[in-house]
Amino acid sequence: MPNPITGNRRHFEDLAVGEEIRLGEVTVTRDMIISFATEFDPFPFHLDEKAAKASLLGGLAASGWQTAALSLKLLGDAFLNQVASMGGLGFSDLKWRKPVMVDDTIGGTATITALRRSRSHPERGIVTIAFDIRNQKGEQAMTINLANLVELRDPSAPMTETAE
Amino acid sequence: MTQWFEEIVVGQPHPLGAHAFTAEEIIRFGKLYDPQYFHVSEEDAAHAHFGGLVASGWHTVVVGHRLMVDTLFADDEVHRQRGEEPGVSGPSPGVNKMEFKAPARPGDTVSYTLTVTGKRPSNSLPGWGLLFNDLNAVNQRGELVYHAELVGFTKLRDYRAPLRLRVLMALTRIPGLGKLLARRSST
Repeated sequence: MPNPITGNRRHFEDLAVGEEIRLGEVTVTRDMIISFATEFDPFPFHLDEKAAKASLLGGLAASGWQTAALSLKLLGDAFLNQVASMGGLGFSDLKWRKPVMVDDTIGGTATITALRRSRSHPERGIVTIAFDIRNQKGEQAMTINLANLVELRDPSAPMTETAE
Repeated sequence: MTQWFEEIVVGQPHPLGAHAFTAEEIIRFGKLYDPQYFHVSEEDAAHAHFGGLVASGWHTVVVGHRLMVDTLFADDEVHRQRGEEPGVSGPSPGVNKMEFKAPARPGDTVSYTLTVTGKRPSNSLPGWGLLFNDLNAVNQRGELVYHAELVGFTKLRDYRAPLRLRVLMALTRIPGLGKLLARRSST
């Protein structure tokens, strides 16, 4: 039965290695930093200016997990909600390269670096996406390689040798 | 568990506690950070291969992080009550690997366990050590929800900085100049 939610979205067959997704931008305010940190990452260096200045971060900075979650939201808006996504498989090489400080604006690009069929589930494809998240000064804040499942429009298409 | 780098035992599992996921918080996190239809709407999620609403994998991860921070703070308190100075945890440089294995559904209780698998002094940050941690999240049926390989900084107790570095550290205490140097040496 076709999926009424994803039927008209881009499927695995519509994606190409090298496609660059331009992400939107988000400005990370002090309130956002403290709200996220209070719920998920209550280290003093994400909650308190004074403790943050004395820490390795050098000032009040967003939780790395907040930077990652906001980047994921940017990918959702610019890409995942227009494709027949089946959810994330995970990620590798998440690197927090520069702290995101109060009122920094982050954005950047996400590039499709690999596409392969799932061998165990022929109706699923795996798309690998490399993020390049930068602040308003163009400095790289975070990089990560995300693996996400995408529906095939035609699961009966023969597997290529790149499937796994 | 906030121990000094020197005291951390490789291979010893640390239970971090458990969290019961509700539909309400799954949808709230989904709307803020991962608004895919199977994370934000019970009705739409019925059409997904999951067959219903599931938590964003990232939601299960940040809840695990919160439990880890709580465990560190609780352990700091135990050290202080014994009259000992607890160790110091720093920010994390990153995550080597994260594998989402089974989704967390409303009503699922996920238990988290952290194991330090390796440690070494940091090359880039003198006075700090790098910890390599495995984190496993398991649901009430014993199914693996995710497996993560994380990296963290923790402070060395028995560290005396070389003279050149001690001079630099003293310079960072001069107002203005210190801020500049701290910003440059962050991450």
